[in-house]
Amino acid sequence: MGLAIAFIFCLIFTRLFYVQLVWGSELKYKASDQWNREIPVIARRGIISDRNGQILAGNLTTYSIFLRPNAVKNPEHTVTVLSELFSLDAGALLEKIGEGKVSEITVARQTSKESVEKLITYNLPGVYYSRDNSRQYAYNDALCQVLGFTANDGTGLSGAEKYYNDILSGTDGEISYTTDIVGVETENPVVVYSEAKAGDEIRLTVDMDIQLAAEKAMRSVYASANAKRVSCVVLNPQNFDILAMVNYPSYDLNDVPRDDTETLNALSRNSIVCDIYEPGSTFKVVTAAANIEEHLRGNSKAFSESYIFNSSRTRSVDGTKIKCWSDHANGKHTNQTLAEALNNSCNPCFTDIALSLGTGTFYNYLNSFGFGNVTGLDFNGEALGMLVPQSLVRDCDLARIGFGQTVAVTGIQLACAVAAAVNGGKYYIPHLLKSVVLSGGKEEIYKPLLKFNPISEKASSILASMLEGVVTEGSGKKAYIEGYRVGGKTGTAQKYEDGHVASGKYVSSFVGFFPADKPQYLALIIVDEPQGVYYGSTVAAPVAREIFQDIITLKNIQPYV
Amino acid sequence: MKRLGVKKKAGDIPLLICVFLMAVFGCLMIYSASSYTAGVQYGDKLYFVKKQLIGVLLGTAAMVGTCFIPYKKLIKFRYPAIIIAAILLALVFVPAIGITNYGATRWIGFGGVTIQPSEIAKYAYALFVAAFFAKNPEKVKTIKGVLPVLGVGIAFCVLIIIEPNMSITMCVGMLMLCLVFLSGTNLKTFAFILIPFAVAVPVLIILEPYRLQRLSAFLDPWASPKDEGYQLIQSLYALGNGGLFGTGLFNSTQKYRFLPFAESDFILSIMGEELGFFGLIIFFACCAFIVYRGFKIARNCKDRFGYLLASGFTLVYGIQVVVNALVVSGTIPPTGLPLPLISSGNTSLIITMASMGVLHNISRSD
Repeated sequence: MGLAIAFIFCLIFTRLFYVQLVWGSELKYKASDQWNREIPVIARRGIISDRNGQILAGNLTTYSIFLRPNAVKNPEHTVTVLSELFSLDAGALLEKIGEGKVSEITVARQTSKESVEKLITYNLPGVYYSRDNSRQYAYNDALCQVLGFTANDGTGLSGAEKYYNDILSGTDGEISYTTDIVGVETENPVVVYSEAKAGDEIRLTVDMDIQLAAEKAMRSVYASANAKRVSCVVLNPQNFDILAMVNYPSYDLNDVPRDDTETLNALSRNSIVCDIYEPGSTFKVVTAAANIEEHLRGNSKAFSESYIFNSSRTRSVDGTKIKCWSDHANGKHTNQTLAEALNNSCNPCFTDIALSLGTGTFYNYLNSFGFGNVTGLDFNGEALGMLVPQSLVRDCDLARIGFGQTVAVTGIQLACAVAAAVNGGKYYIPHLLKSVVLSGGKEEIYKPLLKFNPISEKASSILASMLEGVVTEGSGKKAYIEGYRVGGKTGTAQKYEDGHVASGKYVSSFVGFFPADKPQYLALIIVDEPQGVYYGSTVAAPVAREIFQDIITLKNIQPYV
Repeated sequence: MKRLGVKKKAGDIPLLICVFLMAVFGCLMIYSASSYTAGVQYGDKLYFVKKQLIGVLLGTAAMVGTCFIPYKKLIKFRYPAIIIAAILLALVFVPAIGITNYGATRWIGFGGVTIQPSEIAKYAYALFVAAFFAKNPEKVKTIKGVLPVLGVGIAFCVLIIIEPNMSITMCVGMLMLCLVFLSGTNLKTFAFILIPFAVAVPVLIILEPYRLQRLSAFLDPWASPKDEGYQLIQSLYALGNGGLFGTGLFNSTQKYRFLPFAESDFILSIMGEELGFFGLIIFFACCAFIVYRGFKIARNCKDRFGYLLASGFTLVYGIQVVVNALVVSGTIPPTGLPLPLISSGNTSLIITMASMGVLHNISRSD
C-alpha cells in the first residue's frame, strides 16, 4: 500500500516537474500571446530629401486612436467625447462597440497632438493612442509622381515612397499591456514598451532648384502650347543622376485626390518612365552614333563624315516609298553630309545608314543603347518600349527605325541613349537615389553602375560636335544660348491611333545638352499634342533653352570663351 | 485497573490541525484565484471566499462534532446512509430541485442552500462497505458475498454517471476496489469485481461520444485550442508560468479569466502558478501527511470496522487528491473533480472535514 502511494506521488511529481520546469518556458511563450494586448507604435518614417539635403517629404507628429470595446466602462460617455474630439459618427461607433465582434477598433488616424492632449484629460478607460505618421510634402505638387504618396497607414503606395518603402518605413514598435481574457487591463498591468526604429532618410539625385526651374518651364509650355500633357527629364550625362523629372498636369501631394481613382491614376503616372511614344527625329542621334562608330572601326558600309548623301526626297524599300518630311524643293536638303543631315533632320539619309549597316549591326547598337529593355531606373512600373524583334524586322521597318519611326521608347530610354552617345560612350543605369542617410548620420552613397559602352570616346565627341551644330545652325536654333556650347536634336512625331496616323496629333520633343565638349546637363522635353505649331524645333527647343538658362544662373556657370 | 483513572487518549491532534489549516489555506487560494473573476461577474471580489468561509465554519463544527461521536455508533447508520445518499442522488433528477450547470446536473437546491449529493454518496458508500465487511468478514472471500457491495457500488455509479460526473464515478469505483482489497479478499473474487470495470469503459464511450473527443483533446489539446483542448491548455499555461518558485501569491496571470474553474476544480493550477513546483511539493507533502495519518490510524485500530472505515475515508480523500493532480497536470483526461479541503464548494469541504473528525475519533479508541 505504502509503495503504491509513493509510486503515485512520484508520478505526480515527475509530471509536474516536466510541465513546470522542462516544458514551462515554451508554455509561457505560447501563453504570452493571450496575456498581452499590443498597441502599435508606428516608426517615424524616413524623410526624403533632394541631393542637397533639402527636405521634400517630412512628417507631422500625429496620433492614432484605438478603442477596446470590452475595456470601455461607459460607452455613451466615451463615444460622445471621441466623436466630438475627432468629428466621428457617434451612432456608428456606439453600434460597433455594442456588437462586441472585434476586440479592437481603430477610431481615428493621423489626429493632431492638441486633440490627443484633450483626450488624455478625459482619462477614458479602454481608449488608447499611439504616435503615427502624417506625411508632409514641402513642395506640394512639384516632383509629385517621383516622390509618390502613402496610404493612411503610412505605407508607400507610389513613387519613391513605394520603391524605397522598406528603407523609409523602419520597424514599428509596440506598447504591450497585460490584460484579462477580454482585453481589460489587469489590476497591476505590466506595460512593456518596445521602441520603434525610425526609417532611414533617402536622398534623391534630384536637385530641387533645377526641378523647380523645369516645373516652371514645363507649366508654361503646357499652357502656351495648350498641350495634352508635358514631360521632362534633366539628368547628368556623366553619371546618369536624375536631376529633375516633371510630368504635368500633376496633383498636390498634400491633398491627394484619393476619392477619384481615375484622375489620381492619370495624374500620378510618371509618364516619362512608364509611358512610351514614337520618338521621331530625336532617335536619329542613335543612328548617327552607330554610323560614326562603325566608320571609325573601318566598316565599309558606314558613311564617312564627308560622304554626300543622295539628295532625293524619297527612298524605295520593299516596294514602299519612304519620304522626307521636307519637300526638298528650292535646294533644301541637297548634297548633305551627315552633319548637315542632322541639322536638317533629313529622313532619307538615316534610312540609308540603317539599311547600309544592316539589321545585325544596327540592332547591336539599338541594344547597347538600351532600347527594347528597361533602363533599370529605381522606379516601379518602368515601360519596356517597343522594338520590332530582330528576327521579324523587315527592311522597310529598319529604314523607318533609322529616323525614329516604327519604334516606341520611354522618355528615360531616349534621354539615357542620347546621354551615352554624347558623354564619351558610357551608358550607366539611371537612378533617383543618391544616398541613404542612416540613423547615426552615416551616409551610404549609391555608386553609378556602368551598363553598356556602345561607342568610343572619339565617336561620341564627333557626334557631340555635330549636335552642337544642330543648335547653332540647324533645327535646334531655338535652344541656342550665346556663350554656351549647347547641343541637341529636335523631334516631331505623328501620333497613331488604332493603327492609323491621327491627324493633327503630334509629339514634339527636344533633347539637348551642354556643354557639348563635356556634357553636364541633358534635358529631354516632350510636349504631347501641342495645338497650333507643333514642330519640336519651335515648341520644345525653347523650353530646353529656358531650363538651361536657369541652370546657368542657379549654378553660376561661366560662359565659354 | 480503575476505569475512571484511565485518561482518555488524546487522539491524532496534528491531523485535525493540518486539516483545519488546509481549509483556511484553501480560502486564501480561493481569494487569489477568484477575486478578479468574482469582481467582474458578481461585483464582489469576496463572493467565493465568503461562501467558503461559511463552509470552513460549518466544516470545523462538523469535524469537532464527529470527534466526539463514537465511531462505532456509525455502524448502525450503514443502511440509512446509503438510502439517504441514494435518495439525494435521485433528487438531482427532479426538475424543481436539481440544478444544472455547465451541462451537468450535479446539485440539488433547497432555498438558498446547494449541495452536491455525489460528495455525500462517496462517504456513505465507504461507511456501508466498512460496516458490511466488519459484520460479515467471511463474505469478502466469496463472489456471492461481495455482491451487495458490488450492487450498491454499481447503483451509485450509475446514478452519478448519468448526471454526468465521470470523475466521482471513477472515485467510487476505485474506492470499491481498494476497500474489497483491504478487507482481505481472494484473487478469484477480486477478479470478478474487475469485470464490471472492463465492461464499463467501452459502454460509457459508446453512450457518450464526447468522452472520446475529450480523450483526443487530452492527447493533443492544441488540436482544438478553443474547444475541448481549452481547459487543459489553460491549466498547463498556469503551471508552466509558475516554474520552480512561482509568480508569488496573488500574482497569477491565468486568474484573469483565462482559466475556467480556477477557484474550484482547477485551483491546483493557480497554486502551481503562484507557488511554483516547490510550493506544490510542500502542498502534496501535507496531503501525504493526512493520508499517512489516516492509514496509520486504520492500522492501529484493533477493531475491524474502525480499520475499514478509517481506510475508506482516507482513501476517499487520497483518491481525490491524486485524480485532481493528474487531471490538472494533464496526465489523465480532464474531468471535473474538486481538490478536497481547498477547492471552492461547501458540500465537499464540510463532509471531508467531518470525515476527518471521524478519523480522529477512531484514533482515540483503544
